[in-house]
Amino acid sequence: MQHVEIPVIKQHKEKRIKDRFVKIILLSFTLLSSSFIFIVAGTILVKGVTPFITNNNGLGSVSFIPFLTGDTWLIGESFHSNLYSIGFIIASTLMIALLSLVVSFPIGVLTALFIAKVAPKKLANILRTVIELLASIPSIIYGLFGAGIILNLVYNFSAAIGYQSKGGNSMLASILVLAIMTIPTITSISEVAIRSVDKNLEEGSLALGASKTQTHFKVVLFAAKSGIFTSAILGIGRALGEATAVSLVAGGRRSGYSFDLLDTTSTLTTIMLEGMKETIGLDYDIRFSVGIVLIVVIILTNIILNFVKRKVGNVNVK
Amino acid sequence: MSMLNKRKVYDITMQSLTYLSSIVSIVVLLAIVFFVFQKGYRLISWDLITHNYQSVTYTADLKEDQESGTFISTKTFDDGSFYSTKWGIAIKDDENLIGGTSVFITYVHPDSPLNALNNKGVGIEDLSVDVDYQIIRVAFDGASSALAIHGAEHMIEVWDSQDSFRELEFSTTGGGIRGSIITTLYLIVLTLIFALPIGVGAAIYLTEYAKNNRFTRFLRQMIETLTGIPSIIYGLMGLAVFVPLTIRLTDATGANIISGALTLTVILLPVIIRTTEESLKVVPDDYRYASLALGASQTQTTFKVVLPNATAGILTATLLAIGRIIGESAALVFAIGTAVKDDIRLTEKSTSLAVHIWSMMTDEPANIELSSTIALIILAIVLVLNISIKLLSKRMLRKQGVKK
Repeated sequence: MQHVEIPVIKQHKEKRIKDRFVKIILLSFTLLSSSFIFIVAGTILVKGVTPFITNNNGLGSVSFIPFLTGDTWLIGESFHSNLYSIGFIIASTLMIALLSLVVSFPIGVLTALFIAKVAPKKLANILRTVIELLASIPSIIYGLFGAGIILNLVYNFSAAIGYQSKGGNSMLASILVLAIMTIPTITSISEVAIRSVDKNLEEGSLALGASKTQTHFKVVLFAAKSGIFTSAILGIGRALGEATAVSLVAGGRRSGYSFDLLDTTSTLTTIMLEGMKETIGLDYDIRFSVGIVLIVVIILTNIILNFVKRKVGNVNVK
Repeated sequence: MSMLNKRKVYDITMQSLTYLSSIVSIVVLLAIVFFVFQKGYRLISWDLITHNYQSVTYTADLKEDQESGTFISTKTFDDGSFYSTKWGIAIKDDENLIGGTSVFITYVHPDSPLNALNNKGVGIEDLSVDVDYQIIRVAFDGASSALAIHGAEHMIEVWDSQDSFRELEFSTTGGGIRGSIITTLYLIVLTLIFALPIGVGAAIYLTEYAKNNRFTRFLRQMIETLTGIPSIIYGLMGLAVFVPLTIRLTDATGANIISGALTLTVILLPVIIRTTEESLKVVPDDYRYASLALGASQTQTTFKVVLPNATAGILTATLLAIGRIIGESAALVFAIGTAVKDDIRLTEKSTSLAVHIWSMMTDEPANIELSSTIALIILAIVLVLNISIKLLSKRMLRKQGVKK
């Protein structure tokens, strides 16, 4: 009996050692994956702080408050300056993101309502595919579409009202491109929220004599508002972080606060992409500072919108 | 009665609003596809895929053992082509990329002496002319040079009258996207090599090994947080971390394909982990218990029983990753640069197809035609990937349904 048991135990032990070994390797993969967020945040933070605390090879350190509020972006190496400020860019970034949401949110939510409640099954499936395809189109193609079509439209429109725009490169063009890009995000998430609304609510509304459309707009949308709000949060996140597409239609504004829809503009992302040729010195480091500002703007927007969401979401629908 | 009417008006208005919104989505998709197709389809050809982007100009003369002869061609030439029997070459005037006219080669006889030329400048020694090359100038000892600005007919006339020439200046065809295609393929392969093992491994750990405790939830949360970061931030990170890393480890001197692939790896990990996790979760626990009860170790159970049942999910993750790699632009602008290259090396700058578009669109003047052609190619690939993912998940669902 004994000589049979021993190999079994030995084999068992071997297996356990092997199990342990595999587990450790897999755990290290997991640790690596979850550590990247710290690597990303750490590098951006360390690099982004450099312009403010060193003298940048004789250019002098960038002062923090003017950086956040000023209205001139002078490229350091060529101008021998430390006069970088992005106040006007923060303002235009927020304005563009919000206005693009103003355009895309109603369209996206109403499309979601149409797909989930109004459309016949076949049409709903077709539309769902259309939305999926729109969501999978790479952003650079939206940018190309913007540069090829939307710029022309904006140019002709501004010419018609007697305004000389810079080839259509403008805030309006950026807003339209971003709005088009965020519609699929908003639609797909809102649709899920709308579909998961309790059927009883709808039936109750219908039984009380409300029409189908009244039910959709006054009961279903209201009940799904938490999910719909989430879609808006994700949509504005995408709008704030989008870079290459906007850079093709923004026009690259370098100075001056401007809230004119037809004037050229810059966003936090496009200014990072500008003049990528120089990758040393202050011109290089300052991009990381802009990166920090971008992340902070995104986080703050998220916090504010989540706060609003909690406020409106707490109304008891039942 | 009037209240009912009012309600009817409200109903119709609101309903038509939903119709209108949906139409907007469809119109936008159609407009994008139509625009890209209409601008881009003309340049779609095999040559586009195989040719270099940069055109190179060479000055060459005949090799010593080559001379003019009589090269009869049975080929019929279209209007505007002029054929020289002496040199075995046909040329015509045609519009070049910047809108002017140039002399283009339309045919080279297989025995033509021009197939073996000697480079008079720097670079490779042996040259030959090919269809679609531009001829800029032919210089002779006994006559004045034939220049492209005088047209193809004049050039052939002068050339035919001479038995030899001193030098021939020509430029190869540009405007191809071979380099960017190769870069994109490199990026896909490299990124998948880095990201798949790590991502699938992490997913296995999280679903099969990890206990549901605080630490595990923390790890998951950190991975999940990565998805909310805009890709341009990843680009900055790649520039600050992976570019110096690859410079130290390889002979790279700046941003390169490897640093690009590493950056893409970080972007893709959360996608791969989530998709793989989802497919591991739907493998029935009975399988695990059965395997363990039969005496298999946890490792054996995981890799021989659970993982094979999740292949469809891992394949979906791979396809999603490929789609993302092909479409990514902002991160790669920083991580591998924006210089369009023909000679692709892993340790040098180059552009993927998406960045190629960005590079051309930010140049002056913007090349919308070629950009649209590349966009058309990207759209086609994305469409195929989308359909494949749909079919895969349908199959996966069916499989589960049968088993239940």
